[in-house]
Amino acid sequence: MLVLLPLLLLAPLGAIACLVPALAARAGRIATMVTAAAFALALVLAARVLAGGPVAGANLWLRADALSALVTLVVTAIAAACAWYGEYYMPVVLAREREQDRWPAGRYEALYLALVAGMLLGALANNLGLLWIAIEGATLASALLVGYYRRPGAVEAGWKYLLLCSVGIALALLATVLLYYSAVHVLGDGSRGLHWSVLRDVAGSLDPRFVKLAFLFALAGYGAKAGLAPMHSWLPDAYSQAPTPVAALMSTGLLATSLTGLLRFHAVTAACVGHEWSSGLLVSFGVLSMLVATPFLLVQGEYKRLLAYSSIEHTGILTFAIGVGTPLAVFGGLLHLFVQSFAKSLAFLVGGSIARGAASRRMDQWSGVLEASPALGTLLVGAGLGLVGLPPAATFLSEWLSLAGAFASPHRGAAVAAVVALVIVFAGLTFHWGRMVLGRARPRFTDLLPAASHAPLWALLAALVLLGFWLPAPLRALLDRAVEVLS
Amino acid sequence: MNLQLPDWLPRSNTVNLLAGAFLLSALYAAAQRRTLAAITAYRFNSLALGGIALTVALATGTRHIALAALLVIAVKGGVIPSLLRKQALRGGGALETEPYFGVPAGMLVCGALVVIAFSQTRALFGSGVSILASCLPVSVATTLVGMFLMVSRKQALMQVVGLVILENAIFLAAVSLTYGMPLVVEMGVLLDLLVGVALLGLFVSRIEQTHGSGDTTKLSDLKG
Repeated sequence: MLVLLPLLLLAPLGAIACLVPALAARAGRIATMVTAAAFALALVLAARVLAGGPVAGANLWLRADALSALVTLVVTAIAAACAWYGEYYMPVVLAREREQDRWPAGRYEALYLALVAGMLLGALANNLGLLWIAIEGATLASALLVGYYRRPGAVEAGWKYLLLCSVGIALALLATVLLYYSAVHVLGDGSRGLHWSVLRDVAGSLDPRFVKLAFLFALAGYGAKAGLAPMHSWLPDAYSQAPTPVAALMSTGLLATSLTGLLRFHAVTAACVGHEWSSGLLVSFGVLSMLVATPFLLVQGEYKRLLAYSSIEHTGILTFAIGVGTPLAVFGGLLHLFVQSFAKSLAFLVGGSIARGAASRRMDQWSGVLEASPALGTLLVGAGLGLVGLPPAATFLSEWLSLAGAFASPHRGAAVAAVVALVIVFAGLTFHWGRMVLGRARPRFTDLLPAASHAPLWALLAALVLLGFWLPAPLRALLDRAVEVLS
Repeated sequence: MNLQLPDWLPRSNTVNLLAGAFLLSALYAAAQRRTLAAITAYRFNSLALGGIALTVALATGTRHIALAALLVIAVKGGVIPSLLRKQALRGGGALETEPYFGVPAGMLVCGALVVIAFSQTRALFGSGVSILASCLPVSVATTLVGMFLMVSRKQALMQVVGLVILENAIFLAAVSLTYGMPLVVEMGVLLDLLVGVALLGLFVSRIEQTHGSGDTTKLSDLKG
């Protein structure tokens, strides 16, 4: 409890601080400090969970097990890196906007921290109602950020995002109600019937029909938020229109939080009606997401939309691996949830620098990045390796483990389909990356951001590569514990 | 929990009457071409929902359900319709909605949805889940009508009305299945809903600014 409360209060307090006029001018720095402090607390929390098992608080409304600790680490680490980069990126963006289109100072950072607060509450909530409130809150904060720019495209993207995710999240509320109902005759009414840890313990005596129905609605609702096909149509628009640091955070932290929501329902369903039923659905939707994303990856001309489809593909891999359900595959899936966050946020952020430098969001305007700016070129190559899952990036390890686990399970057909999708993605991304990185540099390319803005990018790349060679023993233990949570 | 209504309240009739008003107001919204009329229908929809929750509270004597019911009446029957109304008036008052279906065709679809909902809910849940069992098919039917309203209209604000009706239907499911969720959860959900509608209203006015009207078919810049 002593860790949970500060972790949950930091971001909202930071958001309020950003809105104070006297501090608004330094809001960027505040956001970085707050998220970095949250990351430190997340490390403490992970150590606590490793040492003494789940940490509970607030009468079981909050509870951090290994899975929550893992998601908290992802959210805070990426949020800190993106806030740090945002300190350099957002002033450059603001300088290009017309005077009347600029937001008042501090408001962007306040909403950014509100989004972080929602994600952290979602990761640490044990009560499924609270989980729902947190994810909906994060959706609302991010919807305003998606509509940050005053251009027609951003308005369209924000509208679609808000409306589609509101419907999705309404279905997730129905899922919560149904699960609560399935428990009322066991637990009586009261908040205990919504506590996940309680529900999982009594899962055997829940009414299987309603648990199944609840899982279906959760799959549609939280699946839509995580970007599972076919509920993904909002995602490329939202990611391509949101400011770069926000898109990077949404495609990693918000994805992880929403997916955890779905996995909580999965764990209860598996404990109630057996593993096969919900696993089969996760595997099918995972592979479907991978297959749906691949053709769009091949023909995409705009960098952020490319990353959005890559995000759908990675969500697919994750869901597929966790659905397969063998300890090896789930380990691979959760490791992928962790390391793909570094690759994807790095890809978004370095793309932000290059897009500003080349004055275009289209990849055909980006040739010869390596020659024009060796630092950005190297970072872009690193991000590319991470996205396709090649060594030395850690995503190679996680995808390898996921597939190895899948081939050793009854889901071999799905594993073959996943490999086919991965090969096509590999070909497509290699083609795009070759065109961007190599070739003659564009004469007018200049990196508009100060050189200090490269520091968070190098940090992300270092984490991505380091984890590919060396998995620290505590992280490995944490992943093992998280696998136990899901099985 | 054993549901015992006081003697002076004709129990099944009260709930059935309110459930009927709930479904009919949703259908009335689906039959409207004018957004303002649909918003008024939503207001009655919410009041019927609040009435059902109040009846449950009276019958069970539970204070937290009564509080949740009053909150529903205040937020869903008061604040949200007023927000939507203000938005509709700002966008030019008597907005003509432009459905993909004409009103008669739309009503036929809604009728079919209601029939499907009533027949399938019985099959799934059986009869006699609780004394509020009659509300459950109504809730499923209204969910479907709300979704139909969202996909059959081009007008942005009308899609929002469809969304809030759908949310009402899910609230009704919560009330009729479990006599409502814990109060803290209900309050959080209502707060999120309120902020959500305010944001949707904000986006509707931005769409009207950037695209000239609230017609969502003009939102087609982003592709591929």
